[in-house]
Amino acid sequence: MGVGERAPGSEAEIVFELPVERGKVREFALAVAEDNPIHYYVEEARKRGLPDIVAPPTFTVTQMWQVPREERERRLGANLAYERVLHGEQEFFYQRLPVAGEVLTGRMRIASDISKQGRRGGVMRVVTYESVFTDASGAEVLRALYTLMELPPP
Amino acid sequence: MSVPFDLRLEDVFSGMELSEVVFGPVERADIVRYAGAAGDFNPIHIDDAYAQGAGAPTAFAMGMLPAGYLAHAVSDWFGGPQHLRRFRVRFLTRVWPGDEIVCWGRVDEIEGRLVKVRFEADRRGPGPRELELPEREPALSGDADVEPA
Repeated sequence: MGVGERAPGSEAEIVFELPVERGKVREFALAVAEDNPIHYYVEEARKRGLPDIVAPPTFTVTQMWQVPREERERRLGANLAYERVLHGEQEFFYQRLPVAGEVLTGRMRIASDISKQGRRGGVMRVVTYESVFTDASGAEVLRALYTLMELPPP
Repeated sequence: MSVPFDLRLEDVFSGMELSEVVFGPVERADIVRYAGAAGDFNPIHIDDAYAQGAGAPTAFAMGMLPAGYLAHAVSDWFGGPQHLRRFRVRFLTRVWPGDEIVCWGRVDEIEGRLVKVRFEADRRGPGPRELELPEREPALSGDADVEPA
């Protein structure tokens, strides 16, 4: 298959659940060395007007538990050569932070897929996956852009 | 921690330097802990033999680990993560076991209640001997929009 071509029959988007559990929020907060008590203690979160502990800003990367790379590749069909792939950029747009106890719905799709001339020759491919997370009322909570760069073959 | 942290809108001006925040050094255990928390089990971050097969001298950190530290620093500068409206990072080079992550930034401009900031996270440490890396170099750069109290 050539550059930028989709595997036949690939899906336009993957819909998945992202449960925001207290234990998982605390585990992730520890992993990024968070010391803000609103990620650990319900009382501290409530003192600041939050309903429960909240997830750190980059928490939704835990969607890798819900949609592992192999499943993402099989269903969205970007057909990337992973031995040459780097994580180039990551961006989040927040309406609010996820709150422990809620279950978000994620919708992941390929937002853009461009090929350009690499700085050292050959064609570099830049693929951006967008995941939009909504709450039980259907309101958007946050949006994440995950950008991968596929380097030209050696 | 040095000041200023927990900045409010009235404290902020364009060009303002934001206090340096240092994380780490990043240990192997920190990388494994992040792998488990995030669900990122790419062996290149955990398994030296696999990393060597891919041309790296040792396993190295996933970019989202220092990106998480950087989000933490931006949150602390402006009174907590609930004030973030947008956060973006670009990955410039790899972070190695033993590296410290030095986060620093500056206020770019203020538009109404929205404060636009730029920041960087530098890796600081010896790195793998074979790579002869500089003692300190930019590992991530980024920008964010925050709405402080």
